[in-house]
Amino acid sequence: MRNLVKSEFRKAFSTKLLWILTLSALGFVLLSVVLGVYLTPGPPGAEDVNALLVPAAVTNIFSSAGSASIFVIILGIIAMSGEYRNQTITSTFLATPRRQSVIFAKVITYTIIAFVIAVIMWIAVVVVASILLTTVEHAPVEWNAVFEILGGTILGLVLYAILGVAIGALITNQVAAVVITLVWIFVVEALLTVFVDWLGKWLPGGALNSILQATNTSGFGGTEALNVPAAALLLIAYTVVFASAAVFSTNRKDIT
Amino acid sequence: MAIEVAHLTKSFGSGVTAVKDLSFTITPGKVTGFLGPNGSGKTTTLRCLLGLVSQTSGTATIDGVPYREIENPITVVGASLEASGFHPARSARNHLRMIAAVAGIADTRVDEVLHTVGLTEAADRKVGGYSLGMRQRLALAVALLGSPSFLILDEPANGLDPEGISWLRSFLQHQAGQGVTVLVSSHVLSEVQQTVDDVIIIRTGSLVYQGSLKSLSDGGPAEVIVRGPSVDKLKETPGWTVRTGEHGELIVIGVSAAEIGHRAFTEAVELHELREVTPDLEALFLGLTQSEGGAQ
Repeated sequence: MRNLVKSEFRKAFSTKLLWILTLSALGFVLLSVVLGVYLTPGPPGAEDVNALLVPAAVTNIFSSAGSASIFVIILGIIAMSGEYRNQTITSTFLATPRRQSVIFAKVITYTIIAFVIAVIMWIAVVVVASILLTTVEHAPVEWNAVFEILGGTILGLVLYAILGVAIGALITNQVAAVVITLVWIFVVEALLTVFVDWLGKWLPGGALNSILQATNTSGFGGTEALNVPAAALLLIAYTVVFASAAVFSTNRKDIT
Repeated sequence: MAIEVAHLTKSFGSGVTAVKDLSFTITPGKVTGFLGPNGSGKTTTLRCLLGLVSQTSGTATIDGVPYREIENPITVVGASLEASGFHPARSARNHLRMIAAVAGIADTRVDEVLHTVGLTEAADRKVGGYSLGMRQRLALAVALLGSPSFLILDEPANGLDPEGISWLRSFLQHQAGQGVTVLVSSHVLSEVQQTVDDVIIIRTGSLVYQGSLKSLSDGGPAEVIVRGPSVDKLKETPGWTVRTGEHGELIVIGVSAAEIGHRAFTEAVELHELREVTPDLEALFLGLTQSEGGAQ
């Protein structure tokens, strides 16, 4: 397994994809911070009030680090489905005919990579948010909550990366895998969360938001969230189900 | 032992049966050509042998073991299956390094195989910019990486210029000289004719011929060219298989020159030429692999 993970790291670092997605994620996350500091709306009916006088709103800015999840899931998808797209899957399975080992190696590799990305995002958010917050009037930062968000960001991004690898193994057409995932996250899951009140928190995105302690400022979902341990278990369960399906499907696939 | 395919059948979900009850054995230490027209099931057979495609029934083993059960398989079997199996933005060196890592092969071996296939200069360029011939060489480098005792190469001559084919020929001979068992597929006999000892010929997924190239040419029916002003009189001779050549000459198949000469003498047919020809391998190959209706 050591050798396989080494091989996966060599794959990951011999193309620009990892850098492009990490930098894109960083840009997106920092944009969220800027919007959070300057454009957080006040409570309903009192939009003029400075929302950042509420401690929870300040904490919420720091949960922006978790919005890298979309880039991390795409990273996982491309890491797996890209092997089918470029037909490197042939070389990969010739060298490792026990195909589940390839999936495990990718899971380990992208767990490590997502961990590092999560830490980078969190540090960037803390630095930039701390600087920007000096320019506005705000409630004191609750650093305990911010450190809890670090843990949540790491867990959330790691699980999304693994979900991505599993999706890429299940839907080996790379374009289809990316499009289906984006449509799910931005359309299907978003609409379900808004229109089916009780369902949102049980979906992967709802669980992720609970873990990240992101409150309902995104405009979607006003329902109460699961508590963090429950949400973590739920997202882990989703990930295990998807990864098991990926192993099952990959072992039966004809590589033509 | 060696490579053994027994009663191999593969039907795809689409209802296409690509390989039908195919059996053959590859003798160790030889170069065997695996021949058949495009779409005859060569690639499917090789992919079953390499554990990439699961057969519907039958077995395919290397030294008695299915590929998927071989420990660290690329150090036993080297395979090149398609020239396009590379990430376009990755360099040849990085492609080889990522495969070397899996099998615990030292990075110095990467430099060796790059040198063997003549890609040292281009090693750090992106594969996306490679010519088809360079991709074929890289595919061979991948196959050689684990210093395997079996080489399975699918259409390695595809896309090579005449110089490349000549290089491939000496490469394969060198490998065979080192005791490596080589199975090389092609849809063109002439590409491998000077290199292979044995041939396996398949058509629509079934075996047509297995044996040495020499006995293939020996076993074929001899042809006799008959030329003269009135040779057409011999055309209707009972029991003869006769066709007319491009320049009006007769081509008689499976009848000795002596018998034809005698017949001409008794029929008082003037002869200008009576010549036995050894059958053309390419023509034999085409005869074996074309379906009776002439359609593919």
